[in-house]
Amino acid sequence: MGEVELSCLAYVKMYLHACLFPRCSVNGLLLSSSPAGGAVCVTDCVPLLHTHLPLAPITQLALTQVDVWCAQTQQRIVGYYQANACVSDSSPTPCALKIADKIAEQCNNAVLLMIDGGKMSPDYRVPPIVMYERKDTRWTLKDKHTIMLRQWEETRDIASQLLDSGDHSLLVDFDSHLDDITRDWTNQKLNAKIAELASPANDNLGVCQLGNPVLR
Amino acid sequence: TPVQTDWRVNVLIIVFTEMRDKLRKWREDNHRNSEQIVDVGEELINEHASKLGDDIWIIYEQVMIAALDCSRDDLAWTCLQELKRQFPGSQRVKRLAGMRLEALEKYEDASKQYDSILQDDPTNTAARKRKISILKAQGKSAEAIRELNEYLEQFVGDQEAWHELSELYINEHDYGKAAFCLEELMMTNPHNHLYCEQYAEVKYTQGGLENLELSRKYFAQALKLNNRNMRALFGLYMSASHIAASPKVNATVKKANVKYATWATNQINRAYQVSYARCLL
Repeated sequence: MGEVELSCLAYVKMYLHACLFPRCSVNGLLLSSSPAGGAVCVTDCVPLLHTHLPLAPITQLALTQVDVWCAQTQQRIVGYYQANACVSDSSPTPCALKIADKIAEQCNNAVLLMIDGGKMSPDYRVPPIVMYERKDTRWTLKDKHTIMLRQWEETRDIASQLLDSGDHSLLVDFDSHLDDITRDWTNQKLNAKIAELASPANDNLGVCQLGNPVLR
Repeated sequence: TPVQTDWRVNVLIIVFTEMRDKLRKWREDNHRNSEQIVDVGEELINEHASKLGDDIWIIYEQVMIAALDCSRDDLAWTCLQELKRQFPGSQRVKRLAGMRLEALEKYEDASKQYDSILQDDPTNTAARKRKISILKAQGKSAEAIRELNEYLEQFVGDQEAWHELSELYINEHDYGKAAFCLEELMMTNPHNHLYCEQYAEVKYTQGGLENLELSRKYFAQALKLNNRNMRALFGLYMSASHIAASPKVNATVKKANVKYATWATNQINRAYQVSYARCLL
């Protein structure tokens, strides 16, 4: 199907979410501020849960709240991500498929992204992610060559930096917000930190297609 | 000058006591803040071992487990050696050695270690639970569930085990059985708002009018036990709203649930207003 582009902001927050709760399965929503049609540009993400992923009430609540926020900020929900607690199995769980199905009802080229915990070593060269798209009624693996990350090496370095400095603990998911509602699940503070670390965009440098990693 | 030296020594003593007390608090609260424990514990062991007295052994255990969590096998190994030397042949230390093997993903060796503990002491619950943890780590959920059920037949009062079983069932989408486990927990812990709220979430997920009504009741119960439980508040709002919107309920029930949902909305709005005010301070 179509091309998918994953922004630095979205990748870093997803990655940090998985790192923040290494013993739990975590999930979240992928957002786009680009208009519908053409390639899917994932420009941001909202980390949702790290407990009881299959249970309905909080997931429904989160989907509603994120929907409202998206309407206010001209964004759309274009996908879903999940990282399984058990690193040996990065295949989508029934609950992942269910939520992704729901998103696909509103967004016909929605993506389902699984973070591959087994590939998250300190010196990983390729983004540890696997993407699925909906063909007919089934979620099938996307061709790696259709997935793009601009400034991949810089993105990876930003994520590592934030992890080393302990700033990943700034990340707030919806679960944490419910534990303390003064905490901001839109992560404005962390977004600002990531923007600070990202250098001005340079279109052709370090573009990474999942199928052809840029090696230095 | 003598005054300067005294001051510096006092600071060191304060720092040492603070570190030791922190570790104790984390032990008592069963916190899994492993990076912090490793940070504080490693310094305590390296710089202040002589001052710790007999406390050092439980600190070695605590730091070792935290080190395994942080992939610090070097530190874990050091702690283990000290414990082996002080307590040769101890089952408790044997279990720690097993946990290290688990951390290294040497599950067969770890299992053998726990089996040898169980040979000497078939009632050793820690070893049995570690064996079940191995099944969980290997993704063998069905087996883990089976073993945990067998374990609970013998050790019916083990709260931690009931909760673990409820989590395993939830992950397998077996909500009926998860609810059963949470019912056990609510019976023995009637004042625990978290169990009520989790039970309500499971009932809500099961769906259907009867389950929705049960979920609403238990969200309300959780709120009675802790009126700051936001999940319970939102859950009350959602379950009451769904019931009110159902074509199967009569006007009285509808009216009552609209009232509950409205009350919940007001409470939610109030909670957010208070939190915004706090942010502005």
